[in-house]
This record gives sequence, structure tokens and C-alpha cells, in this order.
Amino acid sequence: MPEKPVPENDPLVQKSMATWFVVAMVVLMASLFWALWDEGFGQRPWKTYQGEWKQRYGAFLKTARSASAQSEKDVEGNPDYQKLKQDYEQANQQAAPRMKEINDELRVLSAKILAVQNVFTDRRAYVNALTYDIETTTGASSKQSKLKDLEKYKAQTAVVEYPDGSKVPYTYPQLEETYNDLKAQRTSLSSRLGDVIKPVSDLKAALDAYVSEHMVDLKPAQIRGLVDKTEALDPKILQINVADANIVDRCESCHMGIREPLKLTAAAMSLKGKAPDNYARAFTSHPEPDLLKVHDPEKFGCSPCHQGNGRATTSVEKAHGNYEHWLWPLFPKPNVEAGCQTCHAADMVLVSGDVGWTLTQGKDLFRQRGCTGCHRFEGYDRESEDLNSIAQQIKQMEQEKKDNLKQASYLMKQADSAQTNQEANRLNDRAVALRVGNSKLDLRIVQLDRTTKSLLQDVKKVGPNLKDVRLKLNRNWIPVWLKKPTDFRPMTRMPNFRLNDEQVQAIAAYLWQSALPDPPVTHKPGNAGRGKELFETRGCLGCHSIGEGDQMEGGTFAANLTRVGEKANYDYLVRWVHNARQRTRPYCIYEKKDIGPEDYAKKGLPFVFDLQHSKCPNDGHELQVQNMTVMPSLRLTEQDAADVASYLVTLKKKEPGSYPDAAFMDDPKLKDEGKKWIRHFGCAGCHEISGLEDEGRIGTELTFEGSKPIERLDFALLTEMAQRGDGEPITDPDDRWRLPEGPAKGPWYSHLGFFEHKLAEPNVWDQGKIKSETEKLRMPNLHLAPEQIRALTTFLMGSQESGLPPSYQYLPLDYRRDIQEGWWVVKKYNCMGCHQFIPSQPTALMGMKHYQDMQEQLPPKLLTEGARVNPQWLLRFLSNPALNDTDTDRNGVRSYLQVRMPTFSFSENELGKLVRFFAALSRQPFPYIPEPGTTLTAKETDMARGLFSSTAAPCLKCHQTGDAEHDRHATAPNFLLARDRLKPDWVERWIIDPQAISPGTAMPSGLFKRENNRWVFSGPTPPAFQGYDKDHTRLLVDYIFQLTPEEQHRVAGAMGRTQSSSNRNFPPARSARGIAREHASVSGGGAQ
Amino acid sequence: MDWKQLWEIASAPDNVPIVALIPLLAFYIYLAWKQAHDNDLLIAQLEGDAALAKTHHRKTWPFQPGWQKEVHVWPFLLRIEFLAAIIVTIILMIWSITLNAPLEEPANPNLTMNPAKAPWYFLGLQEMLVYFDPWIAGVVMPTLIIIGLMVIPYVDTNPLGSGYYTWKQRKFAIGTFLFGFIVLWVAMIIIGTFIRGPGWQWFWPGQTWDHNRLIYEVNRDLPDLFGITSNWVKTIFGAAVVGGFYAVGGMGLHAYFRRSNPKDYKRMSFLQYSLMQFFVLTMLALPIKMLLRLLFHIKYVWITPWFNV
Repeated sequence: MPEKPVPENDPLVQKSMATWFVVAMVVLMASLFWALWDEGFGQRPWKTYQGEWKQRYGAFLKTARSASAQSEKDVEGNPDYQKLKQDYEQANQQAAPRMKEINDELRVLSAKILAVQNVFTDRRAYVNALTYDIETTTGASSKQSKLKDLEKYKAQTAVVEYPDGSKVPYTYPQLEETYNDLKAQRTSLSSRLGDVIKPVSDLKAALDAYVSEHMVDLKPAQIRGLVDKTEALDPKILQINVADANIVDRCESCHMGIREPLKLTAAAMSLKGKAPDNYARAFTSHPEPDLLKVHDPEKFGCSPCHQGNGRATTSVEKAHGNYEHWLWPLFPKPNVEAGCQTCHAADMVLVSGDVGWTLTQGKDLFRQRGCTGCHRFEGYDRESEDLNSIAQQIKQMEQEKKDNLKQASYLMKQADSAQTNQEANRLNDRAVALRVGNSKLDLRIVQLDRTTKSLLQDVKKVGPNLKDVRLKLNRNWIPVWLKKPTDFRPMTRMPNFRLNDEQVQAIAAYLWQSALPDPPVTHKPGNAGRGKELFETRGCLGCHSIGEGDQMEGGTFAANLTRVGEKANYDYLVRWVHNARQRTRPYCIYEKKDIGPEDYAKKGLPFVFDLQHSKCPNDGHELQVQNMTVMPSLRLTEQDAADVASYLVTLKKKEPGSYPDAAFMDDPKLKDEGKKWIRHFGCAGCHEISGLEDEGRIGTELTFEGSKPIERLDFALLTEMAQRGDGEPITDPDDRWRLPEGPAKGPWYSHLGFFEHKLAEPNVWDQGKIKSETEKLRMPNLHLAPEQIRALTTFLMGSQESGLPPSYQYLPLDYRRDIQEGWWVVKKYNCMGCHQFIPSQPTALMGMKHYQDMQEQLPPKLLTEGARVNPQWLLRFLSNPALNDTDTDRNGVRSYLQVRMPTFSFSENELGKLVRFFAALSRQPFPYIPEPGTTLTAKETDMARGLFSSTAAPCLKCHQTGDAEHDRHATAPNFLLARDRLKPDWVERWIIDPQAISPGTAMPSGLFKRENNRWVFSGPTPPAFQGYDKDHTRLLVDYIFQLTPEEQHRVAGAMGRTQSSSNRNFPPARSARGIAREHASVSGGGAQ
Repeated sequence: MDWKQLWEIASAPDNVPIVALIPLLAFYIYLAWKQAHDNDLLIAQLEGDAALAKTHHRKTWPFQPGWQKEVHVWPFLLRIEFLAAIIVTIILMIWSITLNAPLEEPANPNLTMNPAKAPWYFLGLQEMLVYFDPWIAGVVMPTLIIIGLMVIPYVDTNPLGSGYYTWKQRKFAIGTFLFGFIVLWVAMIIIGTFIRGPGWQWFWPGQTWDHNRLIYEVNRDLPDLFGITSNWVKTIFGAAVVGGFYAVGGMGLHAYFRRSNPKDYKRMSFLQYSLMQFFVLTMLALPIKMLLRLLFHIKYVWITPWFNV
């Protein structure tokens, strides 16, 4: 028997489980409610957002409405508005009795129609049913009898009881007629009513239009509409669904304000007296509404630009794609422009308002810093790739030609032994066809050679040609420079390669020993003082800078020349300043060698090579006859060049001779070692180096770097650190400050983190690794500033293989393509260092002290260049800005400018691109066909001359005339250039309002005023104008376009007589403001 | 000790069932063992007393005088089952609210995830791939598992222990089951979840799963250790070793089984007995092969032109 005490009851049967059940059921119900809440709100956080939106936006609209009502009242107080309103009320009153009359008639008629309609529709339904029955009856006799029934029914009368109580019986046909009659009456009445109302409603529309034209903000009525819309809002998912592109974006379920017509800021959407919270930030309107106009959200959605998970609605993190498994997380705010790059990879300039500057900077940096030297990127540095492919094509065609000849002679032989005449003819024809084919190929090769010539002119290297180091450089300076370029020149584009001393010596030795041995052409020393002046005024500082730190002045596009005297040889500098493109020896890309005088001598040719003599003496192919630099020729005389060079050699901090002697550079044993390292570090990507002309790129392709799987980005031993956010691996303060977001505070295992760290310290992934010299990461330190890293990172993040259909990519084929291509050229030669292309864009020269008081000495703005100039002329000007073959030491158009428009030696290809670019930028039709000018009558010429020489607007006071004495003070181009150069339509717009075309120009506005639908001169008009009813502007333009030198001389002479006294009082360089004031007083007088 | 790594593995929604499996398995084994232990005591008591043995057929706990020998399914069983159903519903609901399905990014055919792991219930099979040819680990072994499970009722000749927990009456059956389930199945799932990291390398719990980790490990075949070079000799040698394992193991198992389960042995036909022998020895072979590999870096024992074991 069991030893335990006997329990009274069997617990299995007796124990109550009620408590267990109660607890379980309570928990079950609780989790059920939890599930319901989760379903309703937990998984739908946007509902809370929409609730908040309704409240906050409603409150915001209330204040906006009162402000709007106030400004509406202001507008309504305007006398113009009052007059319109009076007109409207008057018209309304006049029309009112007639309207009332018609409306009364209509009311009576409608009641009548209703009465007839009730009876008629009932009977018509019966008739229709019966007709259908007859139509589908098969038996002839029953059909007959049913027809009879129908006739009988139609003949029956039905009584219509009219609203006035009268009762009229109608048969069916009568009823139908009455009904149609009544309706016709109503139609004619309605149209009469419309006629009466029309003048009234027109006036009303004018009234409304006046208000909306004069109110900057929305009208109260519009705001009322928004209030109603907001109040009627029910919580629901708001989505944009574009089936074509597989876009489903529900972003607006929370970002309710993004497309509202009012400007919503986070501050405005905050609760009263509170700092902006997440709701307030979510409710702001899109900061660049203009972008949304171009990229209609109904077509583009949000995620193609911003990325993130457009479908997700369960949490902010999910929707923004900020979680591990979403491959396209929202671009962070500082890098938001990466989105533009996903479709606009082919655009060099992408600017809309405040958006696009970062990305554009990134693109510029990628190009200017020579990233393309190592990394391929689709579209960048195309020329070298095109050159290769053309060389390939030419080789192929030459082979094809040989094959064709062989085939042709084979066919001829066959034809000789053919059985029939016909067969022989056929074979013969085929042989002939092959020979013709060959001549076609020949022509094609000629064409390709031409393209090669263009490409050879277009292909540029980021760094200087190192074949010239013996001519150019202080030998002992080279190893010092290689060790750490930034120590010598902090702003240099040359990156730091972290070379050890052996590498520095070997590389320097190879460069020195492989350089061309040609002796320099010696020059006499120039005048350094004059050189300084030339350097500062000719425009060198549009690209180059001088001075370090705060003292720096000039552009950042090219080298800082503060210490150039320590490194460069005087004689080479003279050559370089005179024409940087001048090569020591031409290079043959087919033979792969520098062609010297001996090669020319062999063929009995003089050693002359330039763009006109660019054929290889050995094989007849195109030679590289220029230095591959973008530095243009400023068309300085030899003497000027010597002066500038003399000035440049004075720029130094220590004596060139004080560099330690680097005798090892002549050690032939180091040469091979040096070549190995040069190849290893990819130096030939940016520099022309003897023996390494055909080196490929050593880096990875970056075209789609932004969409590379994160696993393929090698964080090496820092992977865990990056994933967990355990601190910042970059400890060197020299590099740490470069991080745009500062040292990492959280996890940075992302494309953004990778790019930023890589750019801040390119060898960061070598940390902790044991590697030999050849295994170490090769990417040099580009010593970038944080905002530059941000720009490049933005560029790289956006460089993605887009999942959007091709129609979404920006690959235009019309004028926009010309714009795209033009920007590549404009950016390549840094045109924007001197010229303004976009209204708010700063140029390098603009910021300089030198120009602060001499705005009129700045190069012209090119905001409307395409509309301004004749493209034929532009082509001529760009290829030779002196517009003169012999006297080139001058500016062709604005000889009054000290700054020089350089000769860039553009290739045919780039000239075409630039001319088309300007035309496209101003939406000008291309090609341009000038209108035939109107010939002025003698009377008109007199009148125009009167205007032209009017004392109120003496054109020739500022414009050049060709008279040297006068031109010293002139600040505008000679009129004689106008005919070839300008487009008359543009000139007309220009003389009406030059400030609107080129803000800040010295040319005064307000010379003409609008009167009776034409432009008339604001100043006192000569009496001859009595009765002249055409545009004065047009007259003046026609006159200018017909101006002859003699005429100009005459007018100038006449003016000179009358104004000689006042002319002398002008200071040599008058300020633009002064002239504008003068003109203003003139036009003011004219207006009275 | 890298706690974060451990937490990352344990907290992954994928691994929740496995983390739950460990305590649950321990608890239920403990519960079953406790009941079996009590029953075994009771059985000993009943069998020791001839009178009780005749009158008391109910052999499960609780047994007290005065209690009903049998109770009705309704309500006594069903109310417990209903309670259990409610609790499971609660667990499932809370689970589904708090943890979302562990969906990942769209598959990228150009990029294999590392480590690439099977669903948790197949991790045991995946782990076997380390030790055997894919064909053996992926096809032969799973087939044997299924057939072996199907064979159990036909080779089990022990009439005792049906309908109640007991250990003493079914030592061999329960022992074999625990070996097969815990060692061969659950343990391998746990290895696959917690131990196998990037590159399917062996990481002890708490070791960081470093994607850059490199280890030096050379695996050899058993015949190589004996300096055998000829392929045919290798085949014959391997066959001899495997055959030897079955022969020696078979004799050992025979000696053990005949001594510990003499009644069952007598009741078994030759076919039943040899099937049992084959499956038990094959089960034993798996951990032996694993240990050979993990401790002695032996890759294959039996190498033939057609398959390797």
C-alpha cells in the first residue's frame, strides 16, 4: 500500500480549473484587442499622421486665410480693381431685368415639359416594347395583328394636365411633337440667356484675373477650398501608382503637405510654442516645387528620385528603407541630389534653384581631380576610349579592303573561265562592286582620320606631360614633390600616394631618365613687374590661383602658382605661357613613339608639326601634336610671355638651389624599378609618361558603384566596426576632419559610409592588415575638404543601374542633347571661371578684389549668348577670338577688356558642340537663317541717326568706334561688328531692357518706353519723328545693322565736336553705375 | 565573449523556434522522465505484490485508493486540452504581432549570401553535407530516415510500455529515440544555427562571425593516412573498413541486445533483427564520421569512383 497520506479527492476530477480559464481568457482577450489595435493603428502609423495633419494644417490655413483676406482687401482697394468692379456691377444691373424675364419664361417652360414628359415617356415605353414584340414575331399573320394593335394604341389619346390646370388630350404622334417642340423652345431660351450673361461673366472673369494676378499668395477662396478638402479628409492610404515603371509610392500618406500649393515650413506646422517635431518635419511642402513641375509626381512618384521603400506603410524606418534588407534606402538629406544622378548621369550641370550644386560639384571633382585616370566611368574621358575604338575600326577596314581586293581578283579569274557570257558578266559585276566598296571604305577611313584628329585635339590629361620634365623642372625638386605634394602646394590636384623613399627615388629616376632629352630654347629675361600686371589682368586667375590660405585669390580649376618659381625652369615657362599646347615632339599613336626631327629628316621634311601639319611622316596617320592640357593660349606676344614667366619665377618661398641634391635620379639601376611603381600606381592615368602611353586604368569601374551590393564593398577588418558603429577608424587628425558628418557615431556599414571613409582616408581598409608594398591599397589621398567628399559621395551614391524603364532616363535626342553635350565642353575648359552661364553662378574673376570697382572689365555674361549671336559668327570667334589672322594680340570683340578671351584650339567636334550648345541653351532654332534686313529710306536713316547720336543716349560715348583715342575709354563693342555677330531680334530686346538680359551691365535700361503698342524713345525725339508710327527700337536696330564705317566715323566726328568738352572730364575708367545714373536722369527727363 | 554576436543570432526572427526549442526540449524530457520514473516505481511495487498485480491494471500515476480507475474524456481531458489550445493561441497571436516574417531583399543571382542557411528544420540535413557527398547526405540519408521511421512499428516486438511513460520497460527503444532525435537531429540544428558562421566555418558561441576569417585546415582521406595510392586499393580498403564497422559494431550490439533485452530478442525474426541492427549501426555511424572529421580532419573513409563515404 502507498505510504503517502490518502488524499480526499482525486485532483484530476475535483480540482477546479476556473482560475486557469479566467486568466487564460483574459490574456486571450487582451491579445485579441492588442491584435485589433495593431491592425488598426500599430501597423498603420500614417493614420496618426493624417490626424495630426488635419489638425495642424487646419489651424495653419485659418491664419493663412486671414492673411490672404487682408492682402485681397489691399488688392481690392486698388482703383483699377474698383473700376473693373464698377463695370461689372453696372453690366450686372443692366442685364438683370432681361435675365429675370428669361429665367421666368424658362421656369414656366420647364414645368410644361415635365408635365408632357410624364405622359410621353410612359407611352413611349409601351410603344417601344410593342415594337420589339412585333420585330421578333415570326408568323406573318400574328405580326399583322400586332401591328394593328400598335396603330390602335398610337391613335388613342392621353390627357396631359398642364401646371396652369388646363387639360389637353393628345394622340401619340401629337404628344411626341409637342414634347420636341417644347424642348426646342427651351434650348433657344437658354442660348438667349447665355448671350445676355456673357458680358457680365466676362467682366467677372476679368475681375477675378485681376485679383489672382495681383495677389502673391493664394486667394481666400482657394484657401477655403483647401480648408474644405482638409476637413473632408478621411484616413486612407494616398498612393501614386505608375504601372509602366512599377512605381507604387505611398509617401504622401504621411507627407501630406508635399504638394500643397502653400509653402509649408516645419516651423509653421509645429504646435503652438513648440519646436518642430517629427510630424511638423513630415508635413513640410516640397522645398523645390519647380522640380516637381518638371518631374510630375503623377508620372515619377517619389522613390525614383529619393529612393526608400515606397510601398511600405508600417513604420517610418520601413518606408524610408532604412533597414537591413532594403537595398535602396532613402538618400540622406545632405546627399539627396544623388537621386538626380540616377537618371541624369550624362548631365554635367544639373541645377534648379538651390538643388543640384552639390552633385554638379561632385561631377566636376570627379573629372578635375583625375578620378577617371584610374576609374572608368561611362561618359567621362570618352576621347581616349573613342580613339582606341577608331584605331580598331581603321585596322578592321584596312583588312577588309585587302580581303575585298583578293576576292575581286578571284572573281575576275573565275569570270575568265566562266561557261557563259552571262555568268562572266555576273562575276565581273560582283568584282566591280567590291572595288567600289573599297573606295567607300577609303572615304570612311578618311572620315575616321578626321575624327581622330578631332579626338586627338580633345583628349586631355589631368596632369602635366612628364615627357617634358627635363625641360621644365628643377631636378632636385621632383622627389620632394613626390613625397607629399600637399606639403609643397596644399591645394594641388596631385594626390598623396603615401610613397616610401625607395619608391619616390625610383619613380623620380624613371621620370627623369625617360623624359625627352631635347634642349630648351633659351629666352632673354623679361620684365617681371610688367609680367605681374599681365598675369593679374589677362585672366590667368580665372583658372589659376595665387597666394595661400586667406591670401588666395583666383580660380581653383588649375594650379596654385604661389611657389612655381621653386620648381619650374624659366625657358620652359616662357614656352608654356606663350602656348601651353606646344609639344616638344609629336607623338604617333600607331607607332607608339615620339617622332623627332630625325624621322622628318628621313622623309626630307622640315621638323614642323602643328594642327595644320599633323600627319605622321612615317605612316601618314594623325599625330598628337599638342600637349594634352586644357590650358589655352592667351595669344600673348613672345615678349609678354617672357615677362609673365619672369614674374612667375619670382614666386617662391625658398631658392630652387636650396633643394637637396638628388643625384640618384641619374642612376640607371633605378629606372626599371621606377617604371614598375609608376605602372603600379597608375601615374599614366593622369600624366603623359614616356613608355606608358597605352596604360589602362588600374581602378575599378564606378559607373554603377552606387548599386554595387554592399557585400562587394570591402570594409576588410573594419566590417564589424562599421556594422556595429564601434567608433571611428580614422584617427589621423589630418584625415579625420575630412569626414563630412564628423567621426562615426553609429553604424556606418553603408555605401555612404564606405565612400566617405574611402575618400577621407583611402587606405583606411588597410588598417590592421599585414600587406606587402604591392598589395597595399593604391588609391591616393586626394586631400579633399568635407564638402568635396560629400559632393563626390553624392555623385557615387547616385551612380546606379536604374530599375526604371529607359523612357525615364534623361537621354534626350533634341536640343536638350546639345545642352548636355555642351556642358561637358564648357566644364572641361572651365569657361565658367570667367563667364556667367547661370544667373546666380559665381565666376572666379567676379570674387577678385581687382574687379570690385571695375565690373565693366569683367568678361561678358553668356546668359543669352545663343539668342544674341549668329552661330556662324560664333564659330569663327571661338576658333579665333582675335577675329584676325595676323594681329592676334587682342580681343576680337571687346578690345577694351584687359582680360583676354583665349584661343582654346577647339577641335571641329567641340566647336560644333559649343555652337549648338549656345543655340540650344537659348532655345534658338538651329541652323540659324538670318532675316533679310530692311533697307531704310534716307528719311528713316536720318531719323535713326538722330536717335543714335541723341544727346539723351549717345551710343558712341561708350561703344568703341575704332578711334584709338576714344576706344581707350570705351566699355562696349564696336557697332560695326553687329551685322555679322548679332541677331537683330535680340538687339531689339537688348536696347529695350539690357538689365533683364545681363543684370549689372553698364548698358542703361529705360531708353525706350511703351506707348500705343510700340516702343518709343524716352528722351526728347527729334522733330523728324512727327507722325512716325513704327517702333523706334526697330528703326535703331535696322540702322545699326546697316552702319558703315564711314557713317560711324561721321556720327562720331559730329558727336566729338559737341561733346569734346564733357568727354575730357571723364575719368579713364568710369564706373558702370556712373553711366547708369547719367542715363537714368536722361530717361527720367524723357518720361516727364 | 562577443555577446552582441550571440544576441544577434539568438534574436533573429528566423532562429526564434530554435531558441525556444532548447528549453522546451529540456523541460519535456524532464517531465517525461519524471513521470516514467514514478511509473517505474509503481510498476516495481505492483510487480512486487502478487495481489495488487492481479487487481490493479491502471499503472499510471496518480494512483491512490478511492480514486476512480478511469475518468471521462469529457470534461476531464478536453478541458485541459482546451486550456492548452487557448494558451497556444495566445502565444501564436503575440508572436505574430511582435515578430514579422523575416523577409529579406530580392534574391540576387550574382551574390550568394554568406552564410547561406537552410530553413531551421533542415539545418540538420545541411550540416550533414559537411561530412558526406551531397548525394549521400541529401538523398540516401533522408530516405533512410524516412524508411527507418516507417520500420519502427514492424521491428518493435516489445509489448510493454504502451499508453504510459516508462523507462525501465523500454530502455532500448527510448534510448535509440533520444539518440536519434537529440543527437542526430536537434544537436545538428543547433550546430547549424549557432556554430556555423560565414564560410560555414566553425565558430564557438560568442566568437565574432568575421567574414574575413581565414583558417588552415587540411582534410585527408582515411586511405591516405595509410599511404594507399591506388584507387582500387582505396576502394577495397574503404569497403573493408566500413564492412568492419558493421561487422564489429553488429557483434557488439548483438552482445548488448541479447543480454539486456533477451525477451525481445527471442520474439524477433531474423529479418526484424537484422533491420534493427542495420538502422542502429547506420545511426551510430553518423556521429562517428562527424567526430572523425572534426577531430582528425578525415574527409572520407571509403572512396570509390561512384560515391564517397
